Amino acid sequence: MSKKEEKTEYVKNGKRLDGRGTEELRPLKIEVGVLSRADGSCALEWGQNKVVAAVYGPREALPKHIQNPYKALVDYQYRMATFSVPDRKNPKPGRREMEISKVSGEALEKAIFLERFPNTTIDIFVEILDSNAGTRVAALVAASAALADAGIPMRDMVSAVGVGKAGGEIILDLNKDEEDAPDAVDIPMAILPRTEEIVLLQMDGLLTPEEWKKALKLGLKGCKQVYEVQKEALRKKYLEAEKEESEPNTETATQEEGE
Amino acid sequence: MKKKIVIPGELVSEERKQVGSHVFMENGKIYSDALGLVYNDSQDASVVALHGKYFPQRDDLVIGIVVQETFAGYIVDINSFYYSFVSKEFMRDRLQRGSIISAKILSVNEINEAELGQVRVFYGGEIINISPVKVPRVIGKNASMMEALKIGTGANIMVGRNGRIWAKGGNTQLLSEAIKKIEVESHLSNLTNKIENFLKEKNNNA
Amino acid sequence: MASDIVLDLRADKVIEAIKLGKRLDNRKFDEYRKLKITKNISENANGSARVLLGETDVIAGIKMVPGDPFPDTPKEGSISVGVEFLPLASPLFEPGPPRENETELARVVDRGIRESKCLDFEKLCIKEGEKVWVVFIDMYTMNDDGNLFDACSIAALSALLETKIPKLGDEYKIVKGEYSGKLHLARKPLLCTTTKIAGHLVNDACFAEEKAMEARFSVATTEDGYMAAYQKGGSGSFSPKEIDECIDLSFAKAKEIRKQL
Repeated sequence: MSKKEEKTEYVKNGKRLDGRGTEELRPLKIEVGVLSRADGSCALEWGQNKVVAAVYGPREALPKHIQNPYKALVDYQYRMATFSVPDRKNPKPGRREMEISKVSGEALEKAIFLERFPNTTIDIFVEILDSNAGTRVAALVAASAALADAGIPMRDMVSAVGVGKAGGEIILDLNKDEEDAPDAVDIPMAILPRTEEIVLLQMDGLLTPEEWKKALKLGLKGCKQVYEVQKEALRKKYLEAEKEESEPNTETATQEEGE
Repeated sequence: MKKKIVIPGELVSEERKQVGSHVFMENGKIYSDALGLVYNDSQDASVVALHGKYFPQRDDLVIGIVVQETFAGYIVDINSFYYSFVSKEFMRDRLQRGSIISAKILSVNEINEAELGQVRVFYGGEIINISPVKVPRVIGKNASMMEALKIGTGANIMVGRNGRIWAKGGNTQLLSEAIKKIEVESHLSNLTNKIENFLKEKNNNA
Repeated sequence: MASDIVLDLRADKVIEAIKLGKRLDNRKFDEYRKLKITKNISENANGSARVLLGETDVIAGIKMVPGDPFPDTPKEGSISVGVEFLPLASPLFEPGPPRENETELARVVDRGIRESKCLDFEKLCIKEGEKVWVVFIDMYTMNDDGNLFDACSIAALSALLETKIPKLGDEYKIVKGEYSGKLHLARKPLLCTTTKIAGHLVNDACFAEEKAMEARFSVATTEDGYMAAYQKGGSGSFSPKEIDECIDLSFAKAKEIRKQL
């Protein structure tokens, strides 16, 4: 608590230390179909965060006793590369990775038509290559795009963002410096953008209900912005197909994968 | 006609219509469940997915590989979510693990499990894989692409809807190169001509 | 798996009842089961408590151990929270290293205590840069009849409130059986979980209700109006309005439970 003495202003004249406004995301770049062996894949850069996601399945769940006769299982593995953090990370998956994997997998379950694929598993692997706060939401955004790339039937995308508090201000998409503020509150959240159903929500820090109301509003807005980037990335891969389709064509079907 | 690209969860139609493939109804509106192109007319709404595993459809011809023999029949991999089963009742030949067959899909249940019939066994030859959504391009209009491939490579070819192509005889090396080319350039028009030229060129150089 | 089939049938019954506005044990939707807290169940622990929430039974024990400070916080002590789902508590628990359910529970209880700043980590400093207190909070399940999250949180807080600080002799050795005082808690953070079943929000779900749940949302609250941790779990979702209802419920329920500490 003594940290309070070294008081930093995290927002000055509406600008944050890295020059962003309070409601501004770091630059977000998404590309799908980046790995040839996977059924679906995605590379994502979000500020300094860099993640790669791959999807395999639906495929038979093994060993057989884990199979669910009513729906597909979702196995989500969030991992950080040893060099992705300032100090070298122990390669053994830690408790944090385990917890993030669990809640992220659960967040995706609502989006996928799992009941169409009993006894199967959908395996999602996400590797963090570089990090600067907000990797779990970055991973989820990439995983959702990779699922769409794999052609796995979904009710909606899953869009996610971090929102929180630093220096008494409610801000969107906290970076590491902001997350380390003495009064920092970190709220990763994910929604189904069409219905605003919340599928992931965590928080740590000290927050009042009034502050939460503000944060929720900002978070929902942020998720919608992320959704637009996901949509563009998926469409981009097939924009040429649309162009080709509009021309007279002599053959039975046109589908393309965008080189 | 310009076709709209949709992503999962995007609106396809606000009107009540017959729901086709890769769409679902929620609160009276129709949404896409996949990344794909919208096919929407006055009665039907559907989406053609641009990527994905093979969804078995009744009457499709598929190429399968026997994975295991059981007491009553054979378990066959058809490149989909589940293995399929062929009863020995339908079979004269004795199969083993690794046998290649073609079969017709007799029925598909609600979880996309397929029942196979009209089995034919292939002896020898090899399998070339292609993304299932690109199979129509390998066939071409009125099987024009198939003809071009057969003439250009001298191979015996059988195309399964499930993204597996069986080939025997002729220049199968050239055939797999041509199929790779089809997969990569599947969005280009005049593809059949391009492939014909590609095969001619290769044959002349050889 | 025969036992799964039986559980599925019970889950169907839960859903039928909830749709009619009832619960199988006739509780109100926001009503907790009978809570019984027994303190100091272990003499060797620095603090301990056993919590019965209906038939759910958990134990928390505290050990304070002198340890090395983290290099970046030379004058701060720390906490370490662990939980073990003992196989004696349920046919579904297996021995072995902690799995994701245990890890999630421990980390959420940890966040509630840590982020509420109920423990002043600087007061846990023994000698700056050399030795600090590490407060180990370890929880064990004895019987799982649902809502282990809240039961463990109550047990952890109850045990912390009883914790005596060991007396230190030469070279930071603990003098057995002697204490230098009581651990001071600035706040009383408690985790309260709301479970969504068939579109309705209920508190303190029993095991059968957990089998029927769509999703759950836990909020750690303090008596002075702060929230210190959230955790959404389960494959379903919550609307923003439902989240607000959960938050209100968590504040109200924690207030009731705090009276029984």
